[in-house]
Amino acid sequence: MSHLRYTIKRLLQAIPVLIGITSITFLLINAMPGSPVEVMLGPTASEELIAAAEERYGFNQPIHVRYVKYILAALGGDLGRSIHYGVPVTTKILERLPVTLLLLASSFAFALSVAIPLGIVSARRRNQPVDHGSRVVSLIGVSTPNFWIGLLLIIVFGYHLQVLPSNGLVMPLTPISEVEGATSRLDVLVQTVRSLIMPTIALGTLQMAAVSRIERSSMLEVLGRDYINLARAFGVKESVITRKHAFRNAQLPVVTIIGLQLTSALGGAVLTETVFNINGMGRLIIQAVRTQDYALIMGTTLFFGVMFVIGTLLTDLTYAYLDPRVTYEGED
Amino acid sequence: MTTPLLSVENLQTQFETAEGTVRAVDGISFDVHEGETVGLVGESGAGKSVAISSVLRLVESPGEIVGGEIRFRGETLLSFEEGPNGERRQSPESLSNKEFRQRIRGREIATIFQDPMESLNPVFTIGSQLQEFIEINRELPPKDARDVAIETLREVDIPKPEDRFDDYPHEFSGGMRQRVLIAMAIACQPSLILADEPTTALDVTVEGQILNLVSDLQEEYGTSFVWVTHDLAVVADICDRVNVMYLGQMAEQADVHDLFDNTKHPYTEALLQSVPRPDKTVESLTPIEGVMPEAINPPSGCRFHPRCPDARAVCREVNPEPRNVSDTDTRHNAACVKHDAFDVDYEHSTPIQSEGDEFGEDLQVTEGSR
Ligand code: SF4
Repeated sequence: MSHLRYTIKRLLQAIPVLIGITSITFLLINAMPGSPVEVMLGPTASEELIAAAEERYGFNQPIHVRYVKYILAALGGDLGRSIHYGVPVTTKILERLPVTLLLLASSFAFALSVAIPLGIVSARRRNQPVDHGSRVVSLIGVSTPNFWIGLLLIIVFGYHLQVLPSNGLVMPLTPISEVEGATSRLDVLVQTVRSLIMPTIALGTLQMAAVSRIERSSMLEVLGRDYINLARAFGVKESVITRKHAFRNAQLPVVTIIGLQLTSALGGAVLTETVFNINGMGRLIIQAVRTQDYALIMGTTLFFGVMFVIGTLLTDLTYAYLDPRVTYEGED
Repeated sequence: MTTPLLSVENLQTQFETAEGTVRAVDGISFDVHEGETVGLVGESGAGKSVAISSVLRLVESPGEIVGGEIRFRGETLLSFEEGPNGERRQSPESLSNKEFRQRIRGREIATIFQDPMESLNPVFTIGSQLQEFIEINRELPPKDARDVAIETLREVDIPKPEDRFDDYPHEFSGGMRQRVLIAMAIACQPSLILADEPTTALDVTVEGQILNLVSDLQEEYGTSFVWVTHDLAVVADICDRVNVMYLGQMAEQADVHDLFDNTKHPYTEALLQSVPRPDKTVESLTPIEGVMPEAINPPSGCRFHPRCPDARAVCREVNPEPRNVSDTDTRHNAACVKHDAFDVDYEHSTPIQSEGDEFGEDLQVTEGSR
């Protein structure tokens, strides 16, 4: 009830943010020197040719008309055509999106499944060897750029040991015939996992390091609270205190950090995809900028913006689920 | 005499800090008998709360219980012995931490915390927290524990307990939360409840209601209480016997009437003079001079001597342990050498000036005189 209301409220609040993102992107792109048509037709094109093309793509119209048209089309799922690829931008995004999502999901799964237990154990055994070890790991993780980790992994496991593929990402639903040496769906899945390992570590290490630090300090903070002592005073087991009484409270700051990491991971994905030659959203945006493919730049930027909004939204909703005070304050 | 319910002997709890060892509780002894309410009184920093946490083994690092013996119904909960290298260590008769948790905490000795705003977990409902403690300590299935929880909430005067069961702590006022904390303690049906200044955070009206409630509940269940407070009015209201603490040690221990009418320790006297009583006008109140020194570097001899109006030279030399100084049959302990029970020639010792004297100067720098 109150959760549902809160969710709807937050969803509605996301709309102005999205409008803001599209407007800014649109204005920025139009502020770039040269028209997209000139880029498309090259420096030798005649005036008439350019004028004809501008008319065909609607570039001769005033900017606010184009903006409204773009928004209306975008609402209908049409983000224009990519000049470079010659296909609709949405088609291109839908083709690349699953790759990036898979990469993000797997690196977050890796980061959280390592970071949360590590953080909790460090908090419970503060200033013992486990804690010192995890501090060193986090410090290295936070301060090492992900493309460098990627390159290092490629050199060791891809080149010297030759145990993992360092090029491309095999999607789990790729037709069997297209995957080298695969004779069954299982073979494809094995390839997927193998090709995911290194990019996952490269992209997820930063998240892992950041989250484990927050988890530790947050857990320490909560374990010192009066209500934890009260639970102890009433005979609750330490393991239950950690798992139940402290855990949920301690996740609040962690959720915020994870939300922020989600957006920074998008940036990281651009580099990781480049290092491992993975054709995802990250490489798409780079190609779009390189080829000055306006509709594609606009589409991919919009997509990253939407991802950002979804990230914040998920953070807020998780927060509301974990902490009853969040929805309550909204009702005052 | 019958075996006390709880008996604490020479308890010592200290904290290792960067500046040195703080002996927060430095060798205190007290008993609690069946059905009794015992006050533990003193200024903040006297070590009352640490004493309570020590009984429940809730002292957190860098704090540590380093000596003494705690018995419950005659059974040793904690004691110390000399290790092979002369170090003091917990003796094997002590209950293991696991046994202590399972058999004592909540089940035999429950506690009411000081701060109702901080003592309930914000992300769980009131009811589920209460129910969990009942399930653990009375070994009831969830359904029955829930019924007991609702019944107990009703007993501590929470209106519509069935509806409030699923509310979160932030939906309760401070007084209501304190009632919930009391409900937690009584619902587990312990024989002893340690209450650590449970009404300090509340306003006077609510405090009065809570004290009445506790008196009623005690009559009903016959539970023993240790009531930690700095408020002598509360002591007069609910306690049978009183222990007055000063800087980690016991100053005076007596029946509540003896303590108020036949005060034997200058510190207690000073405390009594600093609070309003029905039989006194406000004009006659005298605050205690000076502040209580830090437990990290306590004064030599009697720890109260820098502030004591009766202090004499000998008080700097001798740190008195509480002794029976009663002139009747009931025991009345005081840790003050001016009584004959201490044979240190107080009579012929020269009076020293203290902050308690009219022209008192700062005599806290008496360290070297030891
Ligand atoms: S021993 Fe001396 S200083 Fe201490 S309370 Fe008694 S008279 Fe005062």
